[in-house]
Amino acid sequence: MTPAPPPPGFTETRLVDPFELHIGPVFEQGAKGERRFGFRVDERHVNMRGVIHGGMLMTFADAAFGQAAWDACDHANVVTLNMQSQFLAPAKAGDWVEVLPVLTRRTKSLIFLRGDFTVDGLAVFCVSSVWKILGVD
Amino acid sequence: MSDVSNGLPPGAENISRGGFNLHAGPIWRLADEGAVRRFALPVGEKHMNGSGSVHGGLLMTFADISMSQTSRAVSGAAGCSTVSLTCDFVGPAKLGEILECRVRVTRLTRTMVFLSADIGVGERPVAVATGLWKIV
Repeated sequence: MTPAPPPPGFTETRLVDPFELHIGPVFEQGAKGERRFGFRVDERHVNMRGVIHGGMLMTFADAAFGQAAWDACDHANVVTLNMQSQFLAPAKAGDWVEVLPVLTRRTKSLIFLRGDFTVDGLAVFCVSSVWKILGVD
Repeated sequence: MSDVSNGLPPGAENISRGGFNLHAGPIWRLADEGAVRRFALPVGEKHMNGSGSVHGGLLMTFADISMSQTSRAVSGAAGCSTVSLTCDFVGPAKLGEILECRVRVTRLTRTMVFLSADIGVGERPVAVATGLWKIV
C-alpha cells in the first residue's frame, strides 16, 4: 500500500545517515532556520500493539533536530550530546507527525533545541536536546 | 534460539518479533548478571550515521526496547509504556561492534517502573539512559 502523501507544501528532506534513510522518508517545509519537519507513520514504525514505537519518535527527533542544528551553525559537524524525551500520547499508522524545532540558545560550541511533536494539532511527544559543534572549544 | 555467527554468546535470544523492534534491530537478550538485565545489538550498515558512527536514534531505540522489556518482566504486566527517556551520548560505536545494554531497576511501584541503563562496547561507554515506564 502506498502511504498517503505529505501535506501540501512539504518536500522530501535530503537525508544522509543510513539509519535515517532506513526509517525515512522525512519531509520539510519552510526556510533555513525555521524548517518544519514531518513524516507519515507506517507499518515499519509501530510496535506489536499498533502504536508508534518510542524509538521511531526519538530517531525522527534526532534527524529533525540534526537538520535544525545544521541550520544554526552553517553545516558544521554536529553531534547529539543529550536528548530528553517525553511521550505524551500514542500515534498510529497513517498519522502525520510534525515538529518545528525551536532554537533555545546557540553558544560558540553548543546548540540547545526543543520541540513539541503534534498529530492533527495534538502534542504526542516533546523533546529538548543539547548538541555539540565539533572542532570548537 | 541462539546465534554465534554474529559474535553473540551461546544462548542469546532474539527478542525482535516484528514492527519497529525488528526494523531497527534485531535485538538479543543475553543472560542476566545478578540484578542486571543484558541485551545486545550487533551494529550493521543500516544503524550508522553519515560520520561512521552508530546513529543516536538507534542508541535511544536500543535503550527503549531493552528498558521496556525489563519493565514488563519486573512488573509482570502485559505492557508498559515509555513516559520519559533521557539519554546522554558519551562516545561513538563503529560498524561491526556489538553494543550491550545493561538495565537496572531503580524502583518498581504499583503503577510505575524507574530504570537506568548504560550502553557500551566491552568496557567502553557509548550512552547512558534513565527513564520512566507506566504499567498498563
